[in-house]
Amino acid sequence: MPFITHRKIFLGIAVAVVLGAGIIIGTLGLNLGIDFTGGSLTEVSYAERPSKEGLSAELDQLGLGGYSLRETIDDTGRDGYILRTRDLTEDERVSVESAVLASGEESLITRFTSIGPVIGQELKDKALWAIVAVSLIIILYVAFVFAGVSYPVGSWVYGGITILALLHDVLVPTAAMALMGYFMGVEADVLFIMALLAVLGYSVNDTIVVFDRVRENLIKHRQEKKTKVVSTDGVEREEITYILQKPFAEIVGMSVSQTLMRSINTSVTTLVALTALYFVGGEVTQTFSLVLIVGVLAGTYSSICIANPLLVFIAERKVDKEVVSK
Amino acid sequence: MSNNNLQKKEEGGSKAFIQKFHAVAVVAIIVLVGFFVYTNAITENSKYPFKLGLDLAGGSHLVYEADVSKIAPAEVADLMNVLRDVIERRVNIFGVSEPIVQVERSSFVSENTIERLVVELPGVTDVATAVEEIGKTPLLEFRLIDQEALAQQATVEVDGVPVEESVLEEDFDPFIDTGLTGRYLASAALEFAGGSGGQLSNEPIVSIVFNAEGGDLFETITREHTGENLAIFLDGEMISSPRINEAIVGGRAVISGGFTPDEARALAQNLNFGALPVPIELASTQTVGASLGEGVLNKGMKAGVIGLGLVILFMMLWYRLPGLVAGVSLIGYVAIMLALFTVIPVTLTAAGLAGLVLSLGMAVDANVLVFERMKEEYRAGKNSHVAAREGFKRAWSAIRDGNITSLLSAVILFWFGTSIVKGFALVFGLGVVVSMISALLVTRTLLLALPESHITKKTILSKLYNSGVNTK
Repeated sequence: MPFITHRKIFLGIAVAVVLGAGIIIGTLGLNLGIDFTGGSLTEVSYAERPSKEGLSAELDQLGLGGYSLRETIDDTGRDGYILRTRDLTEDERVSVESAVLASGEESLITRFTSIGPVIGQELKDKALWAIVAVSLIIILYVAFVFAGVSYPVGSWVYGGITILALLHDVLVPTAAMALMGYFMGVEADVLFIMALLAVLGYSVNDTIVVFDRVRENLIKHRQEKKTKVVSTDGVEREEITYILQKPFAEIVGMSVSQTLMRSINTSVTTLVALTALYFVGGEVTQTFSLVLIVGVLAGTYSSICIANPLLVFIAERKVDKEVVSK
Repeated sequence: MSNNNLQKKEEGGSKAFIQKFHAVAVVAIIVLVGFFVYTNAITENSKYPFKLGLDLAGGSHLVYEADVSKIAPAEVADLMNVLRDVIERRVNIFGVSEPIVQVERSSFVSENTIERLVVELPGVTDVATAVEEIGKTPLLEFRLIDQEALAQQATVEVDGVPVEESVLEEDFDPFIDTGLTGRYLASAALEFAGGSGGQLSNEPIVSIVFNAEGGDLFETITREHTGENLAIFLDGEMISSPRINEAIVGGRAVISGGFTPDEARALAQNLNFGALPVPIELASTQTVGASLGEGVLNKGMKAGVIGLGLVILFMMLWYRLPGLVAGVSLIGYVAIMLALFTVIPVTLTAAGLAGLVLSLGMAVDANVLVFERMKEEYRAGKNSHVAAREGFKRAWSAIRDGNITSLLSAVILFWFGTSIVKGFALVFGLGVVVSMISALLVTRTLLLALPESHITKKTILSKLYNSGVNTK
């Protein structure tokens, strides 16, 4: 299996990708939307879009501080603008409303959102907690269900690797979001967090399926050896050791190739559904589907080219150490 | 020997019949559920309609922050409930269908606990009016009862003239404004009436004190209308109409209306705080126009239908006959999900809809896992039924572990999330459970009902069990 034999290359790519993603997120940062920062969003549509300059001139007189005005075609097909400002008071809202409505024919305010800064901060905290809590639960669960196969690597390693793969899968779409935010002004909102959480679920599922096959093949290809051991306090215990009939790397490689088709096909069906959502589903969920598409690609890569190579990598380091200590 | 074989064949025959019967039943159930969803969707006022969130149906979502800094911590929960009742009463006067007013506390992850009131007004896009109506001080009014009109009404009833009686009753308004309102109030307090004069003892009452101006007005009214009844209205609802026994000097009055102690306390608090027990401030507003919401909904549904079609197409191209079965099972999945949305009910939002479309791709995963396993067994020479059974058996641990972790994530999300995240988590969690059921029940039943096939028999059927580009 090339993924296992050339594991150092694949792991190297993964490390580079994670580092790159980290650097992108660190330097560019996320373009946080008003869901997190607080602020107001006004979406207005017209029969015919008035000039941006004209509307800006009107808005400049209102003393709103910095604002951003973006051209848009809304989900009913009308031309309009999305105006983002700081959190508006009721009076300011009224004056903004009349200013944008007066700027064009058949004007209509289709969406208005105003979010106080406290709610935004709270949402940020909640999102972070949710991600941490989900990760913890996953480590515990995976370690629990893999407790039966703690040779040659401990069941905690499976849980740990699942989380590392997950980290990769979440960092990559986050970096994509940072890039989109920097170059295209796309804002990260609640839907972005939901997309990340969905990626998280997908990634774990994907990794577990391959590990499940490793577990099955390990049990199939190991020999149990029971030896009686008398411990220092005179109690006789039975110690079970296992001997693998095939090298661990080969067993893992076998598992990867047996689940390869499934990994690819499930990601294809998911990507197909997401592509439909991206092109047809409307403006509101476009960023959501794009983030998920990147996440699913990353998730498929990580379950094939990271999780299992890493498993072999750790197992071999462990064996090396045991040899040295002997 | 031959007898034995015959018996075996018969057994096999009845078994096949039962399997076919199960398959027909499963398909019939899917059709029924689909029909249920379809009629719910097209019938107006159906018993189980789809509940659309404000971002799809249009409407306003207002979040108020309550200032509870001057209130003893022990009383906060009670007062927030009083606040909710007061606002709910006002929203109801507003004439909105199915408004939601609920108290929400910022969760334990943030440093300070903030008490919030969430008000959802479907169909209301005029935020300015809504905000004004909700934020206005509650209305306490004193009105006189028009004895003449009352007498007239009584006559009509005594005469027993049935014609236009209802019209008369509808227009009947015997109350006369006095100009005395809660604006002239200085304070209100809960008291208990003494047991003198044959009255019920210890009845909770609310005593109110008018300011100087109000006191004068009150005195004039009571002097001029001694012997009549003075009705007391709160937010347009009459709560009592005591008789004026004499002119009242000093600007003190008592409201009694068969209150429970809690009601009386709430009313006194209402009046003191300008009707609201806790000062509130608008923290966030969200308004979506109805036409935009409809546009989002239509596009989301279109994406769902196209996504469903593409996923089924891919499954059929790759897995052939089993792929077709997976397609039927996926349609069953969608039908069950939509039926659950109407029955539970789950409020559908743009995010929930996107989650559902995403889940279409992920829901076939259990099928894919089984089919891959099945293919291995089939290529190893087992017949299609044995291979299917083996496939389900061997894929089970992977399906189980993958779905349990997903379900755990959904539960945590639901627990932590704000309302919009909760909706997504609910759709996600339901999707996990329903997709598992549809794969294990629908796909399995249908696969076992198909005619048996063996890879060595080079028939069309045997090729239909293979997959991908392999034509063996």
